Amino acid sequence: MQVRRVFQGALCAALLAATGVASGITLEPYWQSPASKDKEAYVPELMPPGVQVVNTENEGPVFATAEGKTLYMWPLTTLRNGQAGDRPKSGKATCDGTIYKETAGYMSPYPPGFLLPELETRKSCEALWPPFLAPADAQPVGKWSIVKRTNGDSQWAYDDHPVYTSYKDHKKGDVLGGSVSLIGGEMGAVRYPVGPTADIPSDLGLAVFRTGRMLVNHKGFSVYSYDKDTPTKSNCTDACLQTWAPVLAPLMVKPQGEWGVMERAPGIQQWTYRGKPLYTNLTDTDHRRVIGTDIPDWHNVYTQRALAPPSDWTVQDADLGQVLADSKGKTIYYYSCNDDAEDQQSCDSPDAPQVYRLAICGNFDPKVCNETFPYVQAKPGEKADSSLWTVISIDPNTGKLAQAGQAGALQVWAYRERPVYTYGGDTRPGSVDGDNFGEFNGGRNGFRAFWLRDDYRANAHGRSPGDRR
Amino acid sequence: MNRFALGVGLLVGACGVVCAAPAGEGSGRLQNGTIAYVMTHKFWAVYETPKKEECPAGMNDGPREQFRTLYGDGKGPKKYSIVEAQLQREGDLWHPSTTPEPPQLKFKEAQSKIAYGMNLDGKTGPNDFTSPDGVPGVDNQLYRAIGCIGNYRNMGTINHFEDLFMNSYNDARIVIELTHVKSLENSDDVTVNIYRGSDRMMSDSTGEGYLPGGTQHVDLRWGKQFVSHTKGKIVAGVLTTDPIDRAELPWGSTFGTHAYHVFRGLRLQLKLTDSTAKGMLAGYVDTDAFIHHLNTSWSTHHHSYGQLSSQSLYRELTQLADGYPDPKTGKNTAVSSAVNVEFVQVYLVKPDEKTRVADSGGGR
Repeated sequence: MQVRRVFQGALCAALLAATGVASGITLEPYWQSPASKDKEAYVPELMPPGVQVVNTENEGPVFATAEGKTLYMWPLTTLRNGQAGDRPKSGKATCDGTIYKETAGYMSPYPPGFLLPELETRKSCEALWPPFLAPADAQPVGKWSIVKRTNGDSQWAYDDHPVYTSYKDHKKGDVLGGSVSLIGGEMGAVRYPVGPTADIPSDLGLAVFRTGRMLVNHKGFSVYSYDKDTPTKSNCTDACLQTWAPVLAPLMVKPQGEWGVMERAPGIQQWTYRGKPLYTNLTDTDHRRVIGTDIPDWHNVYTQRALAPPSDWTVQDADLGQVLADSKGKTIYYYSCNDDAEDQQSCDSPDAPQVYRLAICGNFDPKVCNETFPYVQAKPGEKADSSLWTVISIDPNTGKLAQAGQAGALQVWAYRERPVYTYGGDTRPGSVDGDNFGEFNGGRNGFRAFWLRDDYRANAHGRSPGDRR
Repeated sequence: MNRFALGVGLLVGACGVVCAAPAGEGSGRLQNGTIAYVMTHKFWAVYETPKKEECPAGMNDGPREQFRTLYGDGKGPKKYSIVEAQLQREGDLWHPSTTPEPPQLKFKEAQSKIAYGMNLDGKTGPNDFTSPDGVPGVDNQLYRAIGCIGNYRNMGTINHFEDLFMNSYNDARIVIELTHVKSLENSDDVTVNIYRGSDRMMSDSTGEGYLPGGTQHVDLRWGKQFVSHTKGKIVAGVLTTDPIDRAELPWGSTFGTHAYHVFRGLRLQLKLTDSTAKGMLAGYVDTDAFIHHLNTSWSTHHHSYGQLSSQSLYRELTQLADGYPDPKTGKNTAVSSAVNVEFVQVYLVKPDEKTRVADSGGGR
């Protein structure tokens, strides 16, 4: 077990201040300092009037309305027993004013036709995902086109997908409606934030991890940089090249923005990013690995990383890699839930029906739930550097948000405004026995460990539209 | 194909020429009294007859059938809510109970008096089985529970997928190392170490068989919980180990999951050559951990492939549990079991204290 809690005492405080570390958790390799100016650049493109690009902490640049509301799409997704979402190029928006009463039966093995919970307060899809409407005389621009809603309204579409805002987003830069970094497995037909193309060479790509947006090569292998290099000189030569392969750039490439090239030898150019020559690790045997960072002075390369979680939390070694853990070393779990209605509403927030979560964590008994997956309570006045981590007030008996001053309310940590938990069955730091606990291995209605690093599977990164890993 | 797969492909291609001759004694795989093997196949040992005589009442129902029995198909006159139907079933699955099942649901135990397995307690009792070759005293109460569940039978999906995923994902790699071996025929004091490996296995040109002579890096960084040790002896080419009081074996299934089984009194009985080890792994499998593994590594959808009701199975396991009583309640916590296993020989690379498995390429 390796608890990576850091420094205590005055000396450490000084060290923390000197390194810009505002919390007790080691920033490297997962998080960036609040002082960092790292921010993902994007390729400017034509947009409808009023649409803006907003940088967000983990999703990077996203499109937003003039009011700052993030835009999402709902791509058609094949589920176990059918498809849900907007069919691209259909010219139609599926998310409308219908209030669905029954299950659709998309998720095996349960049949359709069962009454959904809290029907008296259930909202329509368009109430939760207001369409981004276009003026009647709007004209297509760039990748933006117009679809007709069933009521005759015009709605903007991006890349042939109708776009929506989310009722969950409150302020500019919120991406609470859906997160690329957490999407994975059998979550149902989920919504994705939409953004412009990242400004990276066409032979490189991006992988979205829980805590950062990592550069990969065109085959999906991780890209690294070396501390001993300079912008104009690689110090990885000879034996070093048995482990590291330069990411070569075409000869005709010209430097642009944060991207440059360095001549390794006559006629051989290597990509640089933010002044660092780039490499892949020849011992990486699968995509999106971070194994090379175990070698001193070598790092994965991110366009940007999230800011640090609560200050006294820890990183623990677990059976696949590393997980985020609380101050006592207990693994942090998040809860995922999508219902089985035609409009695939999420049910993972305190304002959603809690019966889904209560069934899994306690067979409907909140006391059992609070023992099986207790909330992670926050100390008075605690806050995190990251805007993704906040403290909310929860009624532990209902799972709903507590009223102001409510007796028995708990102040709990939330990720993207969803409470996080530990697992009562975890017996030692680094235990992850609560992982995959719930329907469809915790993806559909259940709990998953907050993986930061996974050397074996794909639990530490999310999924983008069309990405089936 | 990634680079490693390409490398394996080249090796396999090369072996088509180089490895065709069988490796015999003295081929050098037993080096300095040490030899290691990696597990290539594992199947819960279920004794089956061609006419399924061990299941005279037929096979058990699974989640789909039980759900229909209890709540219909969603089209009937009574309208159920998801809370009283689907979520109730899921709640029961994640918080299993020993209270009797609804009367409409009836579990079918295997009725055979023959079963695979070992005599774990050294006794022959009324509930023991006889092995197919006539040895009495076989302890394998798990067979009674899973023998008539389609998922666990030879053509069942658990058997297929557990093997498939074990071979597909390196976090489920089980390796054993034998040291102090005088010969693979007879050796009276052998040390047996169990580790998690971290490499792909070297497959043959069919992609379905595995070749000896590969390499496994021992994962002592993330895989420490899977390390255990015991002693054993080799008699007439068969290794028999002493029991390990408690061992955790990686037993991952499906995508992204990484569960493990907890065995009490785990022991191995393997016929050894310098290329393969085949036989049985037996012990008392922890019943709560067994169900936890089942639920966290398979979904109700996957249970439905082979009519496997987790809720019903839990009740059976708690009734059949025959070992390791809880010191407080006196109730048995583990059920005797047996697993048919096969290994091929590999060379191990063990990191020293300063070397992490990642330095060698890590989990692949």
